Amino acid sequence: MANPVTKLRNTAEEFKIKSPKDKKRFIVDSILNNALYILMLIFVIYTAIMKPNFLSLGSLANLITQVAAYLPMALGIGGCIVLTGTDLSAGRVMGLTAAVSAVFMQKLDIPNRMFAAMPEPSVPWLLVTLLVVLAIGALIGLVNGFFVAKFSLHPFIVTLSTQLITYGIILWFFNLNDNNGTPFGGLSDVYMDSVGGTMFRLDNIGVPVYVLYAVILTALMWFIWNKTTFGKNMFAVGSNAEAAKVSGVNVFWTTVLVHTLAGACYGYAGFIEGVRSGSVQAGTGMNAECDAIAACVIGGVSFVGGTGKISGIILGVVILRLIFVALTMLGVGSSSLYIIKGAIILCACALDMRKYLVKK
Amino acid sequence: MQQDILLKMVDISKTFPGVKALDGVHLDVQKGTVHALMGENGAGKSTLMKCLFGIYSKDEGHIYLEGREVNFKSSKEALENGVAMVHQELNQALKRNVMDNIWLGRYPTIAGIAVDEKKMYRDTMAVFKELEINVDPHRLMSTMPVSQRQMVEIAKAVSYNSKVIVFDEPTSSLTEEEVEHLFKIINMLRDRGVGIIYISHKMAEIKRISDYITIMRDGKWIATERADDLEMKDIIRLMVGRELTNQFPPKTNKPGEVYLKVEGITGMYNQLKDVSFEARRGEVLGLAGLDSSGRTETLESIFGVRTRKEGKIYLDGKEVRNRNAQESIKNGFALLTEERRATGIFAILNIRDNTVISSLKRHKKFGIYLSEKSQREDTQRYIDAMHTKTPSQETKIRALSGGNQQKVIIGRWLLTEPEVLLLDEPTRGIDVGAKYEIYQLILDLANNGKTVLMVSSEMPELLGVCDRILVMSGGRVAGEVDAKNTTQEEIMTLAAKYV
Amino acid sequence: MKKLFAVLLALAMVLGMAACAGGGDDVTNVSVFWYDESDVYLGSVRAALNAELDKLENVEYDNQFAANNQTTQLDQITTAIANGADILVVNVVTSGAVDIAQQVLDKAGDIPVIFFNRAIGADDSEVSFLKDNENVCFIGTDAPEAGHIQGKMIGEYLVANFDTVDLNGDGKISYAMMKGQEGNVEAEYRTQYGVEDANAVLTEAGKSELVYFDASNTDKYQVDPDGAWSSKAGKEYMDTNLVSYNEANDNMIELVICNNDGMAEGVVAALQEKGYNKEGGHHIPVFGVDATDNAKALIAAGAMTGTVKQDAEGMASAIAGTVNAIIGGSSCTAAPATLKDDRFTIDSTNSNKLYVAYAAYTGE
Repeated sequence: MANPVTKLRNTAEEFKIKSPKDKKRFIVDSILNNALYILMLIFVIYTAIMKPNFLSLGSLANLITQVAAYLPMALGIGGCIVLTGTDLSAGRVMGLTAAVSAVFMQKLDIPNRMFAAMPEPSVPWLLVTLLVVLAIGALIGLVNGFFVAKFSLHPFIVTLSTQLITYGIILWFFNLNDNNGTPFGGLSDVYMDSVGGTMFRLDNIGVPVYVLYAVILTALMWFIWNKTTFGKNMFAVGSNAEAAKVSGVNVFWTTVLVHTLAGACYGYAGFIEGVRSGSVQAGTGMNAECDAIAACVIGGVSFVGGTGKISGIILGVVILRLIFVALTMLGVGSSSLYIIKGAIILCACALDMRKYLVKK
Repeated sequence: MQQDILLKMVDISKTFPGVKALDGVHLDVQKGTVHALMGENGAGKSTLMKCLFGIYSKDEGHIYLEGREVNFKSSKEALENGVAMVHQELNQALKRNVMDNIWLGRYPTIAGIAVDEKKMYRDTMAVFKELEINVDPHRLMSTMPVSQRQMVEIAKAVSYNSKVIVFDEPTSSLTEEEVEHLFKIINMLRDRGVGIIYISHKMAEIKRISDYITIMRDGKWIATERADDLEMKDIIRLMVGRELTNQFPPKTNKPGEVYLKVEGITGMYNQLKDVSFEARRGEVLGLAGLDSSGRTETLESIFGVRTRKEGKIYLDGKEVRNRNAQESIKNGFALLTEERRATGIFAILNIRDNTVISSLKRHKKFGIYLSEKSQREDTQRYIDAMHTKTPSQETKIRALSGGNQQKVIIGRWLLTEPEVLLLDEPTRGIDVGAKYEIYQLILDLANNGKTVLMVSSEMPELLGVCDRILVMSGGRVAGEVDAKNTTQEEIMTLAAKYV
Repeated sequence: MKKLFAVLLALAMVLGMAACAGGGDDVTNVSVFWYDESDVYLGSVRAALNAELDKLENVEYDNQFAANNQTTQLDQITTAIANGADILVVNVVTSGAVDIAQQVLDKAGDIPVIFFNRAIGADDSEVSFLKDNENVCFIGTDAPEAGHIQGKMIGEYLVANFDTVDLNGDGKISYAMMKGQEGNVEAEYRTQYGVEDANAVLTEAGKSELVYFDASNTDKYQVDPDGAWSSKAGKEYMDTNLVSYNEANDNMIELVICNNDGMAEGVVAALQEKGYNKEGGHHIPVFGVDATDNAKALIAAGAMTGTVKQDAEGMASAIAGTVNAIIGGSSCTAAPATLKDDRFTIDSTNSNKLYVAYAAYTGE
């Protein structure tokens, strides 16, 4: 790892000896390769000038909180994209696990308690709940991975199917015990405080405990991606499945496990979402995978396969939330929000692919 | 005479980085003749044809069609000017029917909008009748055998009123009966004044069908003769007649006791039939044969990436099962695949990742954590040992030259500490200097008591590096020769045994 | 990693730059949060509210849309608070559980919160929630009222036109019910009272009660699967229903009750495709709620029978009035009572709960 200053100096030296044409090309390339970051910087400065509060500590706390909430799903889906796939079931899996978390952790004394037999919410029971939702997420991921790996089906079609199936299960679940689709509310304090409790406040905005969890999860995922056999195999399969097979990588299990791990991430995301939305309804989690996929792509996890970094995913989530927060503060309305988001994703993908095109 | 020349290629040269693929080649095809183009693999036949069809742009030379200079930009343009090719690997839209394939890109239309299916059918039937082809134009390509699909390809060429038709190894997957039909069609075309370029390895066929033979070697034109004036042995001599200079390192390895024994391997989904042989410790065993003679399949079946129907593999007298790559690696096998891009490199990953992927367990700490330091050390060791030229370990492998990529992959396999190395075309697409290094490496491995199986289409390479050579033909072992006392002619004859 | 570092660095720089900026002023920032931008009725409320807020001096406001996603809305609220909002006006996404309202209050701290339109909880929980919290008020409609008014209107219409409506002359009216969303308090009440109150009127007049058209459906309603109260859902359900329930089979649906005008529009469209509810065709009575402009037009054209008017202007003026009262120093609990308007009623138990009246609408 060369130190950045030396690196910069070297680049400057190289730049000096280039011909004028090459110099121009170098500058254009540098601008295009970093266009997204340059645009974001301009955007941040603009917002800061229009709305000074955008750069307050409270705003930072708000941004961090949102990033922590959106990160788990993106981390899970990132693996699927590294395998040149995708996962459309993520949002619904999050919805289902959020609903299960809520039902497991409902207060004892509310009138419309879903399952009377559930024990009183406590910390051990909370851990059981977490394990259960992780298992549910992992199970759906396992099904995804199995069909993708065993039958070489495109993940798009497999996960589209499981997305529908999962939504069906969600609707069925919400209609159990004469619930008639009423949202699951009355979440116990144990659940709310252990996950969403305020760690500390910046200005008047609280930073919840799940920010800490997100840090832990990110570290864990970074370890898995970079420091384990499974992680190395994942990149190998994503880069060239045939070569991986010949090289002795178990392509089947790698694919299954990537999806299973992703499922567990969605399970965890649901566990957090239950607290965040305060009460879970059948529509919870709908289309959440779009944001997650977008974050990965913006962060350089390419659909070409075999590339992507955890830091990139974090960056992608940060950029998306930054746009959301800034546009909310600017009060531009949802039409502009969607247009800008779409443009950014398109732009990010085009710039990403450009890097591969140039090399040929 | 001159006005009878349909196609004239003069002084065609083409250089690829490091290789002079064509060097002043010329070729004249006369009206109403079959002109055979012969040469070993890599002699430049396909490159020459690709230059004709504009798939490659030639560096030098001129091409004249009926006296007019042409310079096709694509095979479509060539086709429209009456130069067609029937490919060895048929590029057809398998999910479409016969007539869709024939008229693809120039569908007859009604009022410029709707496709005129009726006219398409009539025209197709007319061509088929002329060529005595009995195929339903509505049939789906994917439901037809290769021979019939080839007929469709020929019909397409005829439907363009082609003046010159190139056949590239047309009989490689045809039965004898089908070959007869094909020859009948070729003769018919010849009688109609079409000029035919016929590329094939099969001597007997060539003698039978062609009027002229042009022989190429190492990208150079060697000879053009009337077919009647050439004996088969003359052809072979002209094809392989290169003097062996010091292209190979001295052979110092001493084969020891029998280590690997393969008994009766028959493929489940391929043509392998009852392949048996033995290989010794410290021996380099070559596998020779034509393309698709089953050499690659043999290696891949031993390695377990192709399904065996029958057959046993013994290592040091004990049976090993090798059902998949993981198991084979565990048993001490390594396979360097033929298609480096498709099944060798992880293009997008860096050199370190490409090196360590098959031996990750060496770097495991505490049962889960992979040590970065030991990965780095292993990678560096093999970069140094193989003289791999790379700026750093973090360089993406796709940035390296073919030879250096090959070295990285060989390094990958050496890290698994294999006892048996299965090398499929280890020097394909590699420049001469790097080839020498790879030969040296192979001999070093043999010197260290490893067993090496090496497939190659370059016969001098087999003769220079191997101890024994197994010649395969039509999925079977056609014979075994001692590399020291054999000739290329003997190997070529064996290679043609079952085709 | 390098890029992440670069972006964080840039962020830090800009943070430092702007730390000097900022500062207080006399302007009151009002942030209005809508559950979805595409809701027709709320669209007319928004137009009216924007006009009302424009009239207030030293008030700046912005509208935020949550795309029917509660989590998004909560993120927007946090962002608005960070942005220095002084009053929050919230149209919650998840109606039916007070947990959401509680979360909003937790975030808001001292900032006054005005909830409107969508009920923040089921009956009891909402009452106690509003009682327990001082910094909050609710402006809406008495959720059951719309259902009651709709039911009564239907009952009275049927008593007057029973034989025309009873197409097959079996002495019973078969009906279809379009529900906007599962679990939404308003939807639940309207689905329940729309039928119950109509039955009460019918029974009193000596007629038999309504019969749900599909005996095998024990829910006795069809619900928008997306929970969007959409005309699309109404259209699709009705299209499907008419395939097996029609005059040819002698089991035609004779009445359609919808939770809102949006769904009613879809139903009318489906009926018109089959030749009903237009010039020369038989008229199947269709009832909605909201009195949107489209519904009013349909009623004027005779394609729809009746709706319940949710007073968009009334709602807007109640919200703006409350905002004004709070700026003037009034507390949330006291603010609603300062509004003098006969369209508004203060809840008998909670002074921080204000109802905007509904009215039956069957044409001008």
